[in-house]
Amino acid sequence: MSEIIAHGELIERLLRGEFICRTTCEEGWRALKNPATRDRVEAYLNQINRTVAHAAEGEVFFCGYVNLGDNERKLISAQFREICQSLIPLVEWLVLVQEASGQDAPLTEGAPVRLTELQSRIEDTPAFREQLAKLSQYRLFGSSSSSVDGQIKLVFKRLVELGYLLRPNPEKQIYLATGKLDYLYEVIRFIDETESLSLEAQAETASQRDLL
Amino acid sequence: MSSNLHQAGVKLLRLLGRHAELVMDTYLGGSIDEAKLEPGTVKKLTDNGILWRPEPGEPLRLSRNVRALLEDGLKDERNRQINANVGSALATIKTLASHYREARASVDYSAAEAYLADLSEQVYSFTENLRYSIRVLWGRINNEFGYVGSISAKIRENELAQSQVSELLNGLEMIEFHDLGELAGDIRELRRLLVTSLQETLSSCAQELSVVQGRLLELLGRFRKIQGRTRLLKGWLLYTDLHPDYEVADHVAHKQIPSLFNQAQSLLAPAAVDVHNPQHEPQLLALVAGIKAISRENLPQHAVQQAQPVAVIAAEAFDIPDNPLKQAVEEYFCAVIDSGRNQSALQYLESQQLPWDAESWLFQVIGGFEGLSDEHKQFFELEPLGEVHPIYSGNFIIRDVEVGLR
Repeated sequence: MSEIIAHGELIERLLRGEFICRTTCEEGWRALKNPATRDRVEAYLNQINRTVAHAAEGEVFFCGYVNLGDNERKLISAQFREICQSLIPLVEWLVLVQEASGQDAPLTEGAPVRLTELQSRIEDTPAFREQLAKLSQYRLFGSSSSSVDGQIKLVFKRLVELGYLLRPNPEKQIYLATGKLDYLYEVIRFIDETESLSLEAQAETASQRDLL
Repeated sequence: MSSNLHQAGVKLLRLLGRHAELVMDTYLGGSIDEAKLEPGTVKKLTDNGILWRPEPGEPLRLSRNVRALLEDGLKDERNRQINANVGSALATIKTLASHYREARASVDYSAAEAYLADLSEQVYSFTENLRYSIRVLWGRINNEFGYVGSISAKIRENELAQSQVSELLNGLEMIEFHDLGELAGDIRELRRLLVTSLQETLSSCAQELSVVQGRLLELLGRFRKIQGRTRLLKGWLLYTDLHPDYEVADHVAHKQIPSLFNQAQSLLAPAAVDVHNPQHEPQLLALVAGIKAISRENLPQHAVQQAQPVAVIAAEAFDIPDNPLKQAVEEYFCAVIDSGRNQSALQYLESQQLPWDAESWLFQVIGGFEGLSDEHKQFFELEPLGEVHPIYSGNFIIRDVEVGLR
């Protein structure tokens, strides 16, 4: 029983619908990586028809259902619709962050984002400003601000609320990407593979066209 | 002969030392602008093979050997050159070994000694070259091809390194220790050089190379994953741009829901600390410690306001418009004085047909009376007319007031 208390926070986080990764909750993540503790957490969750689900090659954990009744199916399809609706704004944001910070790699778990740096880069480039203005108006972010400052602060605040970003120190404008982003990549990859969209190939031919 | 060589070598090195700045500038810049140099210097350097001109009309460059010396000495990571030509080195070694055997057989010891020295030099430089190649490869792996910027460039660099590794490995496979053993025969020096030392080095190199190959593949996988994600994002935007009415298919409508989407609804609201549970004391203490004390003492002093010029002029005359209700009350008091009789306030209100509500009129009359200075107040008398509240004692309901002269 005491072990369950030790993982109380972890179970609580799972039941709250949070994604557990190394960045958000290293202790819990380690506990879930360990088969023995994971089994205990699993056994606890099983009592209320929940299970520990994982994504991104076992680096991200979240809470799923064991048995799917009509009710659960309804909830899941509502959630799925929500994710699908947030895909475009999130992807636009990811591409904006990647391009504005001049990086090769898109944000992944643990990658830091310095808001002030990013903001000044976006402010200096009209194309980035436009992209930010466009994406901040999506329903997911719902900004009505006309200033870059207002837009970007709101977008980051929403992303922290949604669990895609983490702000380790509330006094600093440094954010960390969480494993939920890796989950997002997996969702896109899943859609790409099941619907045979061949997104990667399209992007490659497009970039080769750009080079020519 | 050897003293000549010695002298010439020292001279060459001195020449290099004298022009160290120029050599380094050329190394870093790739080529040198000879207009800035004296023609004598250029001639000396080109004659000694330090600088050379690849094509007529091209600027002067550093010769390959000097470059290699610097790259090796400085451990410059930009150096990607790897000499994977095991075949020719092996052929040279075999040739020299045959020379040595022949000289030994004909009892020409001085020649044999010279050949043996040459052969050791060849073998050692061959193994050194091999080790150097591996070191270069490791250097590139350890900083993850940091000298090139983009992921696709890193992937290309990785592929180059992989091809070099497989070339090296192929080269190592060419070495047949059986042949070398036969060649060495029972000559102790040859066996030591060609079999023992070479074999040890080669096997450790081959081992290391396979580790290198594994690491390179791992890195390539990581690079490809990153590149794949970038492409995935770009592709997604491209696709949704091209197909504005695209909607994600309902992947959760199937009987078997993909585990990726099997995400439970959040069940718990955030919990709070229980103030009655002594076990929660540390949490409570932490919460209290987290409360920020606001101290206004340490607030920065307000900047002293700048002095403004003060002009002493006569104050402008202004008047406060009188409240008409107040004026009416004053008139009422005057009427009392004029008539010299007691007068009811409500009757006055009615007779003068004043527009105010009876209650506010009474309040204003009482207020006006109380507001009089003591000197004036003593001339008037105010008599409230009304009745005691029927239920609650001590309450007096004023229905009207009567003002009169004392």
